[in-house]
Amino acid sequence: MITLSKKLKQDAEKKQPKYPAVDDGRRVSIRDKLLTKEVQELEMDLPDSCKVHFEDVNKLSSFMLKIVPEDGYWAGGIFHFQIEVPEEYNMLPPKVKCKTKIWHPNIAENGDICLSLLREHSLDGTGWSPARKLKDIIWGLNSLFLDLLNFDDPLNIDAAEHFYRDRAGFKAKVNEYVRRFAQR
Amino acid sequence: MAELRETGGDGVVEVGAKSTEQKAEKMFNLKKWNAVAMWSWDVECDTCAICRVQVMDACLRCQAENKQEDCVVVWGECNHSFHNCCMSLWVKQNNRCPLCQQEWMVQRIGK
Repeated sequence: MITLSKKLKQDAEKKQPKYPAVDDGRRVSIRDKLLTKEVQELEMDLPDSCKVHFEDVNKLSSFMLKIVPEDGYWAGGIFHFQIEVPEEYNMLPPKVKCKTKIWHPNIAENGDICLSLLREHSLDGTGWSPARKLKDIIWGLNSLFLDLLNFDDPLNIDAAEHFYRDRAGFKAKVNEYVRRFAQR
Repeated sequence: MAELRETGGDGVVEVGAKSTEQKAEKMFNLKKWNAVAMWSWDVECDTCAICRVQVMDACLRCQAENKQEDCVVVWGECNHSFHNCCMSLWVKQNNRCPLCQQEWMVQRIGK
């Protein structure tokens, strides 16, 4: 619905120069326009266990996410994720890598992540959609430590098999990884 | 003002006017009033979920390229609406509605 205040705000925005002068003369990309809006609302609506950090505040397309799970197998660990938003956003999903070594059925030891939302092409309806936002990705990653944790469709097959073979051993290895790699 | 009064068990109802109260002084006097009107677009979804601009305005890309006039709206069989240019970019990627994930079928294109 259009409200008068929204309309006035839009008109005010139109009066301002649309493209700030950039040295190389290029216009602000669609991605950057979308991100400007998204990052504002993102910071207001994050799970308590998540924190985002922008190394360069002028470059919203690259940032770090820190997840500190409060519950579950990985509680007490600190996990860092690198999020890169491609120029073709939001037709293409952001690229996410886990920078902290972890023993997890859905996160490989090299940092690759199995989360349906991050899938560029999917035959069913569970992959990326331009209606999704960064916020959904962050909530999704956070849930990989809780309810989205899935031992039946693993990326790290060894970790999933370990869990079914020897639950105590799996827990011990998770804890060992947390102690060795996920303390800061 | 009218008053309803029942007259016993025969079901007849008598209607009488309270003539004394009509003469009484008015409680309120209206001296001035301002009309306020609201309006909204008569469509199911008024913001394009792809570029997040209202569908009746030009999409982000057309605004950037100054092609506001050519930017039209597309409705799918699922009744979701988007800018036609936003949607044509997305269907190349995945022929599903970004909102309900149903297979995308165009119902109507226009303004």
